[in-house]
Amino acid sequence: MVDIANEIKQQVQERRPLTLAMILTNRWFLYGVSMLAFFLAWDMAAVARVFSSGLPRPYEVVLQLWRMMFDPLAGKSLLGHIWASTQRILIGFTIASLVAVPLGLMMALNRYVNAIVKPLFDLLKPMPPLAWISIAILWFGIGETSKVFIIIIGTFVPCLLDAYNGVRLVEPELYDVIRMLGGNRRHEIIQVCFPAAFPAIFAGLQIALSIAWSCVLAAELVSARSGLGFIIILGMNLSRPAMVVGGMVVIALVAWTMSQLVSGLERFVCPWKREIDSR
Amino acid sequence: MAYEQVKVKTPLILRLLPILSIITFFGTWQLVVDWEIVPSTMLASPIQIFQLFLVKWTEVNPDGALLSQHIWTSVQEAFTGYLLALLVGIPLGLAMGWFIVVEGLSRPIFEMIRPIPPVAWIPLVIFWFGIGISGKVFIIWIGGIVPCVINSYEGVRMTNPTLIQMARTYGATDWQIFKQICIPSALPMVFGALQIALACCWTNLVAAELLAADVGLGFLITMGRKLALPDMVLLGMIMIGLTGVVIGVVINYFEKRLLAGIRR
Repeated sequence: MVDIANEIKQQVQERRPLTLAMILTNRWFLYGVSMLAFFLAWDMAAVARVFSSGLPRPYEVVLQLWRMMFDPLAGKSLLGHIWASTQRILIGFTIASLVAVPLGLMMALNRYVNAIVKPLFDLLKPMPPLAWISIAILWFGIGETSKVFIIIIGTFVPCLLDAYNGVRLVEPELYDVIRMLGGNRRHEIIQVCFPAAFPAIFAGLQIALSIAWSCVLAAELVSARSGLGFIIILGMNLSRPAMVVGGMVVIALVAWTMSQLVSGLERFVCPWKREIDSR
Repeated sequence: MAYEQVKVKTPLILRLLPILSIITFFGTWQLVVDWEIVPSTMLASPIQIFQLFLVKWTEVNPDGALLSQHIWTSVQEAFTGYLLALLVGIPLGLAMGWFIVVEGLSRPIFEMIRPIPPVAWIPLVIFWFGIGISGKVFIIWIGGIVPCVINSYEGVRMTNPTLIQMARTYGATDWQIFKQICIPSALPMVFGALQIALACCWTNLVAAELLAADVGLGFLITMGRKLALPDMVLLGMIMIGLTGVVIGVVINYFEKRLLAGIRR
């Protein structure tokens, strides 16, 4: 029995005989088969040189990653490069979310702020964040500032948009309830708007995080001396595919971990948004 | 249920503020450049950009192509990648939502590839496809396929279970349920994916043209940076934004036409 708030869910499990069909349609079995097939296909494609020398074998990638852990590359070990990218993202992401989320909330709550900011925002919104790289380099040179600037630009839009929509799409019934209970405007904002908008804000943060990764990688591809984007571009210039794929694997791992952390934070900050499991 | 239609009159100031805000924005921009608060190697004024915009329709230099060529190449690349993403992503997502075998087989691979930003594929793609159009299309495809799969998957999963149970009771086969209940009920989500995927593809276009290209809007920006011509960079950015908006409006129009039969 799983107990959520004051609902009671009863779980009934039926014991079925173990048959071949059951094993074949078992989700975890299929996951295993799929992974195995993927890595086998990768290895075979690499051995058969489908992409000539452009695809390393999986074990070469692991070997390369192991080597990069200990041999410094451009003065930094793999962990150093991971930290360099993560640091840029953290700085840019923090600044953007600290400015954009309150601004989005203000826009949704106050129509004068909305009337001033919305048109400007609508003008800047359609430009892809990656398009800002060039202008950022013209403005700030190729140092850290331009990279953080791109991340701020890229993450600003989803943060603001989701905070704004989060408040705009709050169910009107909730307001009616708090008004009927004698709440004033302040109560409406603090006790209805914010809690109801939190899930949307976090959805925005998740999107922002993935955009931040795109931005930081693009910025590092164009010009950098450190970071994960630098690793893959170096791998390309030295024509060492193992390094490129290794870099991609690390990027995937770090990006995945960060998005898990954000959803963990979401579960911690707004426990009222519970998961409804389908099936 | 008697709702009364209330006409809310917008105060004059609320209608004026957006216009004022835009005028202030462009005015400040223009003045900042005119008074040389910011050096002209860093920022071009709106008027300069507009002049360049007019000139670029007939002038090939300094980047080697007309503005119309840049736009056409970019749109071509983006649309090829977009259509391929739709062709692969939507059926895959729909099948993943209903058939447990398809989901079990493709989900782990999808989840492994998903967190890698399309930008990170650039070096590998250059190894594989060289710097031709196929590499760019691949990067755009990678970016566009993720929202397609996720949306169509979610669309199928959100099918009302009562409908499925009812169909089962009437003796429908798995395939019939999938075809006649799951797909129609997933359609609104799939159409949502059209917009999202387009935005992703269009964003990735810049990434695809970032490293290697000789024509295209992303190339225009890169070239502007290399020649230190801020007006060219800004023109490229504005054209990307503008073209994106135009394509978005067109897709939206078609979506409305197509969905008219489904939404009642």
